[in-house]
Amino acid sequence: MNMTIAWITARGLFGRKRFLLLLPMPIILIGVTAVGLAFDAPAADLAETVLLGLGVATVLPLVSLIVGTGVLGSEIDDGTVVHILAKPIPRGRIIMAKLAVAASVSAVATAVPMFAAGAMIGGTRLGAGFALACVAGALAYSALFLALSVLTRRPVLLGLLYVVIWEGLISNLVAGTRTVSVQHYVIRFAAELSGSEWFRTTVSTAVAAVMTAVVTVAGTWLAARRLRSFSVAGETS
Amino acid sequence: MSEQSVIHDIGYQRYSGVRLSRGYAARSLFEHGLRVAFGLGRSAKAKIFPWIVIGLVTLLAVVIVAVKAQTGEMMLSYQAFPSAVSTVAMVFLAVVAPELVSRDLRNQTLPLYFSRPVGRADYALAKLSALAVAVFLLLAGPQTLVFLGSAFTAPDTSGVAAEARGLLGGWVVSAAYALIFSSLSVLIASVASRRAFAAGAIVVVFMVSSGVAGLLIALGGEGPMSRIAPLFSPFLLPEGLRSWLYGTSIDVGAYGPLYGLATLLLVAGCTGLLVLRYRKVSL
Repeated sequence: MNMTIAWITARGLFGRKRFLLLLPMPIILIGVTAVGLAFDAPAADLAETVLLGLGVATVLPLVSLIVGTGVLGSEIDDGTVVHILAKPIPRGRIIMAKLAVAASVSAVATAVPMFAAGAMIGGTRLGAGFALACVAGALAYSALFLALSVLTRRPVLLGLLYVVIWEGLISNLVAGTRTVSVQHYVIRFAAELSGSEWFRTTVSTAVAAVMTAVVTVAGTWLAARRLRSFSVAGETS
Repeated sequence: MSEQSVIHDIGYQRYSGVRLSRGYAARSLFEHGLRVAFGLGRSAKAKIFPWIVIGLVTLLAVVIVAVKAQTGEMMLSYQAFPSAVSTVAMVFLAVVAPELVSRDLRNQTLPLYFSRPVGRADYALAKLSALAVAVFLLLAGPQTLVFLGSAFTAPDTSGVAAEARGLLGGWVVSAAYALIFSSLSVLIASVASRRAFAAGAIVVVFMVSSGVAGLLIALGGEGPMSRIAPLFSPFLLPEGLRSWLYGTSIDVGAYGPLYGLATLLLVAGCTGLLVLRYRKVSL
């Protein structure tokens, strides 16, 4: 962890146009909940469609993807990463700083609206459960996408394939693949923390907790290891 | 100075061949765009993502043919095929649309194009039509594969004719998907000069709008809202159109013509904005 790097990363993230893409999503999440409540929709239905369908399945992975690949991927993309790599800072610490910024930005950007939406639908406990689950999810997703942005040249597309094809399509059809789907860990955590009976997933709490830790640690370790022997190249293909 | 100065003819010549028109330039741009969409003529790295998508879509078609050959049952009708693969098609758009327009913005190659006879609107329309044709091929190719598979297993010629009619309907639906998806995503990609950012923006717009529309449909129940809400999702708008044309998809009640109009307006609006965008683009 290096405060200067974290500071530069945060500034790079907030100072760009791409950040504007993150702003509407939390607002839409809360706005849609308000519309749903105005129509007197049953709370269970709202929780299913808004909190799970829109929040956990769409907003959380997409926010984490944009932020997680933005903290390091964009620097690699435009070549400014050499300025950081040329400094005598252990590569592991660079990764830790980037991960801390990415995870906290994604966590704030998703947990706050999820808390608001959850609290509006089913009380503070539901909101707090979803907010905490989203924090855990944001950490795991950030580590995953940070690793992708060091391991490949096209992190956003690979991340999209993971989010859309693996989590969106395959894990809904083949129940076994849910054990390696961050989305289902988040659903499990949310169900556990909020004590609600509305959400069901086949992943057990123990598996979800262990796998979240594994994804986070493995992602960070891989990213640090890969950054140690990182070769700087121009944009190819 | 020598006594006799001579001017040597060193062979400079004027170009006396045929001057190919602006139309030729636009056609070349379109052709190049179509090749880029599938990574043809580019490195293996550029082929990975489009061909993963094509592989997935073709796999589904092969499964349909196999099931049909074994049981005689059509698992997924021709018209339902595009909606079944629409999320995969969205990934294709997120891969290809930035490839077509964002690279030119980022590498600042636009001045090179615009110093030629090709106009700004030509450029925009050539890119858009290249993407639309690519998406149409992505959807219609597997449909045709299913048709070939079913035609060979059909018992008689009337069966083949029925399959052909189904295929034509499927192509119409595919064309609607291609137009709606590609006009929207080229417009989004044309404001982002980074490919990664453009890809993210396309997926965000598609998925968030569909989530919101899905909720509105659920809230509307049997009322008019659940029949109008699909208009606001790029995934459901072509399904509404299909429902109006063939009556085989989501329930749109009496609002069918509205879907036709909305499709027209969306495509025309996105194309217009795209042309405007390239009129104002900073080079």
